[in-house]
Formats: sequence, structure tokens, C-alpha cells
Amino acid sequence: MTHLTHILKYKVISFVKSTFDLRFVTIARGLGSLMLFGGFAVGAYVLSNEITRFILEQTRTGLYLYHRFISMMLFVFFTAVNLGNIIVSYSTLYKSSEVSYLFTKPVSYSNIFVLKFLDNFLYSSTTLFLVAFTVLLGYGSYFGYPWYFFAGVMLFVLVPFMFLSACFAVLVLMAIMKITSRWGFRRVMGLLFGVYFVFIYLFFKFSNPIELVEEVNRYYPNIDQYLSQMTPGFLSYLPNHWVSEFLFYVARGDLARALPFAGILLGVTFGAFVIVLLVANRFYYLSWLVSLEVQASKSAPYSMMKTSFFDFRNRSVFSPQIEVLLKKEFFSFLREPSQWIHLLVMVILTIIFVMSIGNLNLRLRVTEIQLMTYLVLFGFAGFLSCSLSLRFVFPMISLEGQAFWSVLSAPLDRQKLYLTKFLLGFFIVFVLAELVAIAVNIPFVRLSAGRPLLLYFGMYSAFWISLSIVAINLGFGGYFPSFNEKNPIRVSSTQGATLTFLVSLVYLVTVVAIVILPLTRYLESLFIFRQFNLSSIVQPGTLLAVVSTSLVGFSAYVGLKSLQRDF
Amino acid sequence: MIELRNVTKKFGSFTAVNSLTLQVKAGEFFGFLGPNGAGKTTTIKMMAGLFSPTSGEIVINGHDVVKDHLAAKQTIAYVPDQPFLYDKLTGREFLYFVGGLYKMARGVLHKRIEELIGHFEIGEWVDKRTEDYSQGMRQRITIAAAMIHDPKTLIIDEPMIGLDPRSAKIVRDTLKEQSQKGVSIFMSTHSLPVAEELCDRIGIIKNGKLVFCDTQDKLQVYKQQYDGKFESVFLELTK
Repeated sequence: MTHLTHILKYKVISFVKSTFDLRFVTIARGLGSLMLFGGFAVGAYVLSNEITRFILEQTRTGLYLYHRFISMMLFVFFTAVNLGNIIVSYSTLYKSSEVSYLFTKPVSYSNIFVLKFLDNFLYSSTTLFLVAFTVLLGYGSYFGYPWYFFAGVMLFVLVPFMFLSACFAVLVLMAIMKITSRWGFRRVMGLLFGVYFVFIYLFFKFSNPIELVEEVNRYYPNIDQYLSQMTPGFLSYLPNHWVSEFLFYVARGDLARALPFAGILLGVTFGAFVIVLLVANRFYYLSWLVSLEVQASKSAPYSMMKTSFFDFRNRSVFSPQIEVLLKKEFFSFLREPSQWIHLLVMVILTIIFVMSIGNLNLRLRVTEIQLMTYLVLFGFAGFLSCSLSLRFVFPMISLEGQAFWSVLSAPLDRQKLYLTKFLLGFFIVFVLAELVAIAVNIPFVRLSAGRPLLLYFGMYSAFWISLSIVAINLGFGGYFPSFNEKNPIRVSSTQGATLTFLVSLVYLVTVVAIVILPLTRYLESLFIFRQFNLSSIVQPGTLLAVVSTSLVGFSAYVGLKSLQRDF
Repeated sequence: MIELRNVTKKFGSFTAVNSLTLQVKAGEFFGFLGPNGAGKTTTIKMMAGLFSPTSGEIVINGHDVVKDHLAAKQTIAYVPDQPFLYDKLTGREFLYFVGGLYKMARGVLHKRIEELIGHFEIGEWVDKRTEDYSQGMRQRITIAAAMIHDPKTLIIDEPMIGLDPRSAKIVRDTLKEQSQKGVSIFMSTHSLPVAEELCDRIGIIKNGKLVFCDTQDKLQVYKQQYDGKFESVFLELTK
């Protein structure tokens, strides 16, 4: 324990010294960040508050159903934190040079584990804490909760909820490392994918948001009473259910029924942490040795794709410079498991979403309900672009790392380098964004008896959104580089990345504000037969293009300027 | 040919390089020495285009490295003090990568890479990922990559770090060979014997200012004023 506090002390000193740097540039940058964070906090608060008001008052959805939606969102949140932690923990616990260094010192394995586990949890969850807290503020202030409610829920419900997810993540990771020594890395990763896929499938089979939306459409407005009979039994064993039930009973003023759910969550989290410590004490060092073996087994001479397009010895139609840049990006991506695994997970989840949403059967011809459904789906699609870009585009320049000297000292136009990265990022995000845009709009095309206007507008918006979001992430990724960080997930969790994500969200809210009016008019034209002029969609479409182009230009300027800086 | 004219580099209020003026002719081997933090790496990074000078001009082979940086870089090879490579690429892939950046023709590049692999004796591990390389292996790949496009000017920061005796000899011989071929070499080093052995002219920098810049012959004269050792001259000048 003495070791732990000793090392923590120096980590805190290092953090404080690097954070509270009193140079003018740092202070100005800090103030800028603070203003942006503040703006985001206010925005998230207002948004969460208004959504709660809209759902409970305008759509008359009811407390129970609203909390079922919250439960589903929390499940997605829990899974995202869990998967993210598995991937980040691998780097933090097994590939960090700090761990190798500490293992040579007389420090117990469990102390090293706790240190890196907390490091990992706090580092990767700072932004999520902020998001969770501001959303909670907006939600809670609708019900008029006192200040201590927010502090209490944050400390005793949401933080334990995320901590529990992180505990599961390291348990799974240590199990993977243990099994890897017997089964091999690829087989274990395949198994892990299978298990997660089945788990997510089962959850959405028994608690399907699409079904829920369809039931709302079918039984509106008497949905609350009807759906209260539908809760599947197994949901009560999931932590997201405990949190949503806690919030639900607090909202109903029934604290006696709410508190046991918080108690269960706290107890399980504490138990999980104790189990993690016991397992780590027994297996952490052994599994670290396994990770070294996995690394060593990869050091055999490489013969992969020697005859393919990607072989550096072959040439294609591209100029030599573009070609080697593309190949370098390709191999750097493919040979870093945390990159392709994470992309694969996101693509699979997107495909599940696309397949589910494409079959959504909307029946209700009420403008408010369908506007909300559309905006939720539209928001999700935009959020997906933001997340993808933050995770894969933002780190693109940072991942050049210290080897960037080889590119910067070569006779290569930096605009060419920037454009190559931009097009690569844009290609991935654009394809997925268009897929989602089509899927989101298909149910609405059906609802409007085959009129494709909304589909075209959705695809048009997806183009501008993906273009702008990729531009923001690449430009700001260059402005806030972390050349010493090799882990892309950690690059995506830096303060600069958080700011970039917030800027992306602000842009997304702006887009929603641009499309909300024409969308309302269009839905009204369908449901109450009001006249709808094409100009109603051309004007916001033009505005969207102008706003996006300006943002793309500004971001490219920031990114290119940052490439001119001293390296 | 390298020309530095009144080059200054400031980081905030700190002046790392102060009005540095010097010239390295074609085929000349110039050794750049100085204590830690004297401004050697900063000077070299400005020449390689990684830092921009606060004031002054750097002209390499007739091209200004700021205004005409692409043309200047086409003629330069830079070897950094720390041989960082792209971890996920193999050594051979890295060589192809660098060759592509210099727009080398495919056939020429194949041939050149095979030559360099043989010359630097790296065939055994050149197809492994560079993340598994030792410091010396990385250094050899970096120097091989620098030679790939037959540069007119070599800018090298601490080339001998981490090299075993055999590799160090290969690198020394290669540098001598290049110099004899007419390549200008600007080498920063902490190793006084290496500088004495290889360089035609030596410059010593202290606190960003050049405190000594002369030929080997003149250096011999200076040495006699002390105890005949270059180390004593260096310590006195950088005191």
C-alpha cells in the first residue's frame, strides 16, 4: 500500500505540473477549453432537459417507457465502456513501458495492477463523467431534484456503474490472456467476438428498441400501462436495469423502492472489484508473461500479402508518394489489433442497427412522435460519424508518432499528406454514414407511401456531416497531436480529443437545428396534408452546405498550419 | 553544399541557436560538436526542415530550405539522433516507404534496396517488424534509408549511438565513402575520436554560438597548445 501511495503521489505531481503550466499559451488554451467545455455542459444540460420535457409532455410517452429507453441507452453505454476498457487495458496493463519498469522494482504485482487499472479507468472515463453528469443535470432538473441528488447519483450510481463495466473488462482481458497461452490469440479473439455478439443479440431480442417503437406506434397513447407488463425477467439482473429502475422509482417519489437498486449496484461493484483484485493478485503477472510470448510469436519474418496490391514492392496507378503513404496507413492499421478490432466492432454494431432500423414499421401518423423518432435516429447516425471520426480520424496524425521525421524531412508536399489522410478517413466514415442514412430513411419512405424526398435529403445530409466531421477530427487531431502516445484509443481520450468531440457535437446540433423546420413541414404535409414546397428543403440544404464547407475550410486550415509547426 | 547565414532559433525567450553562420562545401565532412543542450540538434532539425528558423537563411545545394523546401529536401538525407521508425512496418517496407517518398523508379528502388541490405548486413532481420528491433538495428535501417536516393548532402545526428563495433565500422566506412564521392556531410557527434577520424573540418557550438570552426590541421595546432589531446581543447572551449 505504501508503494501504491508513493507512486500515486508522483503521478499526481507530474499531472499537476503538466496541467497547471503558467505560460500564457497554456493559460489561453486552458481558458478556451474551459469555455468550450462550459458551453458543451450548458448545451448538454439544455438538450437533456428539453428531451425529457418533450418525451414526457409532448409525446405523453410516460415515465415507465421513458426509463425503458434510458435502460437501453445505459446498456449501450455499459457495453461501450466495457469494450473500450478491454482494448485500452491491453495497452495499459500489458504493453506499457511503465509496467515493464515497475516489474523490475520491489513493488507487488497487485499494486502495479491497481495503479494501472485506476490510471486506465480515470484516463478513459473523464469525458464520459462530464457527459453523464451534464445529462443527469438536465434530466434531474426537469423533476426539480435538489443538488445533493445529483452528487449522490453521480457518486453512488453512475460512477459505480462505469467502474463495474471497467472491472468486467479487466476480468475478461485477464481471462483472454490466460486462455491465449493454450488456445492461441486468434482463436480466443474469435471466441470473444462470438460471446459479445450473442450477448448483444440476446439483449436486443428480449429488449428490442425497434419493437418498443412499434408498440408505441400501435398502442399510443395508452402505452405506459400496456408496456409495464412486458419487462423480460432476465433484464432485472443487468446493471443498466438497476440504474434505470433507481431513476424510475426516484422519479415516482418512491425512494424506498429506489434505494435497493442503488444498493445492489454498489454491492455488486464492490464485489466485482474484490474479485478483480484477487484474480489480479494471482494471474496478472502470469498473464503479463503470456502477453510477452504473444508479442514474441509475432516477430517471425513477415510474408503477409507479398503478392497483393499492398506489397510495397508492387506499384499501382497512384503516384509513388501517395502509394507508399496509403500502404503505410494500411499496414499500420491492419497490424495493430486495437485498430481493426475496434473498427470491426463498430461496423458490426452499425450493421445490426441498419438491419433492425430498415425493418421498422411506423404506423402512427402523429407529427411530434415521428419527428422525435426521426431526430433520434438522425442524431444517432450523426453521433456514429462523430464517434467513428474521433476514434479513427482524430489520431491519424498523432499515430505518425516520432517516426514522422521520415515524412517531414522528405520532399513531400504536406498538403498531399493531409489530403491522403483526409480521403482515407472520409471514405470509411462516408460509407457507413450513407448506409445508416439509407436505413434510417427507409421506414419514413414507407410511411410516406414511397416518396423518396426524405431519403435523398438524408443522404445529402450524411455527405455533408461525414465531410465536416472528418475535417474537424483530422484538423483538430493535427492541432492537438500526441506523438509520444502509441495507443490510438488513448489519443482519442486526450483533452484535445474531448474538445474536438464537443465541437463535432455542436456542429451536429446545428445541423439538427437546420433540418428540424423543413422536417416538421414535410411530416405535416404527410399527416395533416399541409402544402410542402420544394424551396422549404432547398434553403436549409444550401445553408447546411455553406456551414459545412466553412467548417471544412477552417479545419483544413488548422490542420495544415499544425503540420508546419516544429517537430 | 550547405550554407547557414545568421541563423537564429528561439523557443519563447530562450535562444537555442544564435546567429549561426557557416558553410560546408561539396564533398566536405563537417563535424559538429558541443555539450548537451548547446544547439546541435536544433541546428540539424532546421537544416532538415523539421524546425523553422526564427531568422536567417539556410541554403542547401542552392535551395532555401524554407522557401524551396521540396527541392532542398530532394537532395538531402537526414538521420535523426533517435532512430524512430514506423513500428508496424518491416525494415524492408520502411526502405520502400522512404524510396517512394523520394519518387524513385520501381526498378531502381528494388536494386538499391538489395544493395543496401547487403552493404549494411541487415538481410537476416529486414523482414521483421521494426517494433522488434534493437537500437542498433534501427540505426542501421535509418542510415540505409538515408542513402536510398543517393543524396548530395547527408545531415546526421549522432550516428554511432547503439551500434556494435562491427556496425559502427560499416557506418564509418560508408560515411568516408560518401564523402569521397563528393557528398557533403554534416555530422553531429559527442564522440571526439570519431570526429577526429572522419571530419575534414570541425565546429564546436556552445550556448547556440559557434566557438570554434576550423580544419583538422588547425585543430592539431590548438591541441599542441594544451596536452596534445582534443578532449582538453573541447573541454576548455566549452567550459
